[in-house]
Amino acid sequence: MHINWQLRELNLKIVYYGPASSGKTTNLEQIYSRVDNKHRSDLVSLKTHEDRTLFFDFLQLELGKISGLTPKIHLYTVPGQSYYSASRRLVLRGADGVVFVADSTPQRVFANLSAWEDLESHLISFNLSRNHTPIVVQCNKQDLFGALALAEMKNMLHVQDLLAFPAVAMNGEGVLETLKAITRNVISQVQHQAAYA
Amino acid sequence: MNNSNSTDPSKTPGGINLSPSQDQAIEQVLNILLQKCPAQFILLVETSGQLISAQGESGKTDLDILGALIAGDLSASQEIARITDQYQHAQLIIREGSKTNTFISEAGQQMALYVRIDKDVPIGWARLLIQEASNKLAGVISTTAEDVGKLDLDLSEEKLSTIIDDNLDSIWGG
Repeated sequence: MHINWQLRELNLKIVYYGPASSGKTTNLEQIYSRVDNKHRSDLVSLKTHEDRTLFFDFLQLELGKISGLTPKIHLYTVPGQSYYSASRRLVLRGADGVVFVADSTPQRVFANLSAWEDLESHLISFNLSRNHTPIVVQCNKQDLFGALALAEMKNMLHVQDLLAFPAVAMNGEGVLETLKAITRNVISQVQHQAAYA
Repeated sequence: MNNSNSTDPSKTPGGINLSPSQDQAIEQVLNILLQKCPAQFILLVETSGQLISAQGESGKTDLDILGALIAGDLSASQEIARITDQYQHAQLIIREGSKTNTFISEAGQQMALYVRIDKDVPIGWARLLIQEASNKLAGVISTTAEDVGKLDLDLSEEKLSTIIDDNLDSIWGG
């Protein structure tokens, strides 16, 4: 979080985290394509030549004023492949909130669990924990054959206490709902922290 | 080298609450750097990628995107130094080009300073000024300003939720 009182800007960072090919970049592409260009930046993607995320994707949204402050939301994705763990940690640095994009297909259970453990270990390395970091879970690819239901996904990840949304990010389903939820949680947390500062 | 006395920057959480007086002090440091080098363009970002200030000719560059990339560049270099046990304070990345040289410097633990300078300016001179400015910038942030604002949105959870939902609905094209 960065507040500039001269400009009255509230800058927040939200990171889309999850296993490879779960739909993190697709979420940002959908947001980019649906948000009026006066309220967003270009979408920047640092990709490999195989079109996979190498470091991060980045998109900035500018919301209308809240109590005289203009929230600027910086959205990042991380690379999903297991060998990019160090890069994921770098992108996670300074994050105010996390969207965990899970792949709902049964074949990806282990990948989801592994990515979740990876996220938790990185949060701990920043002296943070899931209890003090706003996290929203998105269960993507709900349209695929055999996709696990939302309740099954929450059980599998042991995230019954977190908000979770079913999604088909490719079609935009669940993308806005997820974005609203994490933005609400992050700004609420910022307000809560400021009250006790 | 043994870096046991160096603070690991990767453990530093983000978060700067910048008061108007600090903002002015930063502008002054950047302006002096711009004139003295002289530099073509300067950008100061938080290490999590959020833009703090810019001076000079940016052209049509999107500064928010540039800020995210500069922070990523510096953090990747810091991590390379850390895992090879070479991390030291005041890391500086220099890129020498045929027309311009660019520098990315740590400015304390919370900021990164990007400076683009004409090739004719001696690198040693630029490096000296950039490190001096980086130290001053870190000092500005480390002091507690009296005119720092207190974040008080003064909204109930329900009201805040409604405002955010309405805000996002209004920019969502469907």
